[in-house]
Amino acid sequence: MRIRPALVTLAAVVLTAVGCGQAPEAAFVLHQKTSELSDASRGAVEKELLNKFGTPHQLVAWQKFPFDYGASGENLVTGRNLYMRHCLHCHGVSGDGNGPTARFLNPQPRDYRLGKFKFTSTKSGLKPRRDDLREIVKQGIPGTTMPSFVLLPESELNAIVEYVRWLSARGEYEQKLVATLVGEGGGEKDISRRVNKDGESREAILKGLADFIAKDFVEEAAIAAGDVADSWVAADADENLILPSIARAGLDAKTGLPTDESLHKGRELYVSKKAKCMDCHGPGGLGDGVLTEQFWKIPGTTPEQEYAEPGLHDDWGNVQKPRNLTKGQYRGGRRPVDLFRRVYAGIKGTQMPAFGGTALTDEEIWHLVNYVLMLPHQKTSPAAKHPEKPSVASTGG
Amino acid sequence: MGRFWFYFFMSAAVAMVVTFAVAPANNWWFPGAALSPLGKRIDDLFYLILVITGVTFVGTTIALGYVLWTGSSVSRQEQSKSWFSHGNHNLEVIWSIVPAGILLFISLYQMDVWAAFRVKSTFDAEAVLQPLAEVTARQFEWRLRLPAPSRKFKSQKEVQEWLKHPAPDDVYSVNDLHFPTGKRVLIHLKSEDVLHSFFIPKLRVKQDAVPGLVIPVWFEADKSGAYELVCAELCGWGHYKMKGQVVAQPEVEYQAYLKQLQINQSDDGVPDAPMAEGAK
Repeated sequence: MRIRPALVTLAAVVLTAVGCGQAPEAAFVLHQKTSELSDASRGAVEKELLNKFGTPHQLVAWQKFPFDYGASGENLVTGRNLYMRHCLHCHGVSGDGNGPTARFLNPQPRDYRLGKFKFTSTKSGLKPRRDDLREIVKQGIPGTTMPSFVLLPESELNAIVEYVRWLSARGEYEQKLVATLVGEGGGEKDISRRVNKDGESREAILKGLADFIAKDFVEEAAIAAGDVADSWVAADADENLILPSIARAGLDAKTGLPTDESLHKGRELYVSKKAKCMDCHGPGGLGDGVLTEQFWKIPGTTPEQEYAEPGLHDDWGNVQKPRNLTKGQYRGGRRPVDLFRRVYAGIKGTQMPAFGGTALTDEEIWHLVNYVLMLPHQKTSPAAKHPEKPSVASTGG
Repeated sequence: MGRFWFYFFMSAAVAMVVTFAVAPANNWWFPGAALSPLGKRIDDLFYLILVITGVTFVGTTIALGYVLWTGSSVSRQEQSKSWFSHGNHNLEVIWSIVPAGILLFISLYQMDVWAAFRVKSTFDAEAVLQPLAEVTARQFEWRLRLPAPSRKFKSQKEVQEWLKHPAPDDVYSVNDLHFPTGKRVLIHLKSEDVLHSFFIPKLRVKQDAVPGLVIPVWFEADKSGAYELVCAELCGWGHYKMKGQVVAQPEVEYQAYLKQLQINQSDDGVPDAPMAEGAK
């Protein structure tokens, strides 16, 4: 075969250009809602985020937030470096749950920007404690693609947690700024509608917006940042940690397993009106309750729209399957106290409501936890013999 | 040209032999000493094969050198007709039978080691009856399920039942497998999604995890310490990070570790009462 120097050279040049190209620059991306603002409003949000948070290369440690940045922000930099290495490919540079591998995953990686985290030890509606996030990073989430990082040193885990909190605060702050501007009529669609339908002058609207951005926006932004900061402070406050008022009830002293009596009580609660577990988790705990078959309205839409798929949806807009309780797989941890907290404060950002302190007493929650923990071991659970007939099961209790 | 090719090939061969001879002492490429008896036997096989291939290499190199040396000393005037060896029956027989004999020798010689590692009937009976854990490989971590510390299996049937149906008092962990030093332990290897491979380099243990199969794997460690556990089968984009550790520790420490794991798992959030009393 004759070797053609020209062809070889050409191939080498093409391969160098294509194969050894630069990786895309790491940059924080704007939220979808931010990009729907009018130019001036979007610019204001962008400027504010750049000033207060910087770029992935030039992080800004905004002292407004209760985060442990280290004396000169070195903790934040360590956190970023670790995040870029371990987390970025799923959770994305901006923490939007949209990294390069995200599209292949089900369930979707968490988008931190809502400021909501599902598995917490804090009271209803509150953010997670540092410990909660660290525990999730350490243990991973069984049943999802979140793996365990248990072998990372504690200092690295802490830096990652701190960086995730910071990313979340950045995203939530962005959303609050956008909400403020939308409230002032800064949405591009809104402006177009007013110009086209109501016949207002575009200049006048934009002038009004510019005035707002120049004068009141700074103050509104400060309030928004204060709210975000306060919510993170509240999450770590001791009085907001859920500690059961009584030790786990209904255990057989000899075996350490739940008594039949406790299981009957748990079953009774499971099918009861006040707990309504069955509506979502189904009579047998398979996660196939009636509510999973309906079409649900998308909250906050006018006019009201329905989700395209039937079933419950979480606050991120994904279909949220109630957990199949017979699998013995517990995403937020399998310790009794973990399950207690799930029932007590609900799972944040999902349709799992909080029962603690209101609908159920702590003792009742323990019976429910006992029942749920024994569901995968149906042979040892007398109640499970009659999944369709709660009245039969409840006679035992 | 003269003897250029002779010196070229011979110096390359000498450099290779020297490098191989000094490599183990300097810990180049070689994985270091195995830390388990079976690992040492596997290493012995490895070195046996290295010696056989080394001797073969040296022999063929000498033959090559001889041909180059004598060939280059023949003057252009006295060039005679070459010896045509292609299709020579005797040569074909020799270089088929000799390597076949060597291969046969290796395959027979290694059978004991293979059997000790893979054939179930040779496994330690106590380890088989009392498995250490069920290890489930998944993208990209090792999930562990351990029988309760107090649990004593009475029969193989019971073990099989435990593998199919988790017990309520099982203890769970992830990426961190502890076991007693100097004792043969057995795990049951599963995969939740794709092919993985359970690989502890220091103990010379490697076994593929296959979806749908439960594969018993035994190992032991002479020395206490934490050893790397890695995935040795490309299993997806996160393969490189599918890393855990196995920790060999004295029996007493191991029992204490198990106890602590169990206490942590039964935590009910009420201080000073990790194992709650019965109701009322």
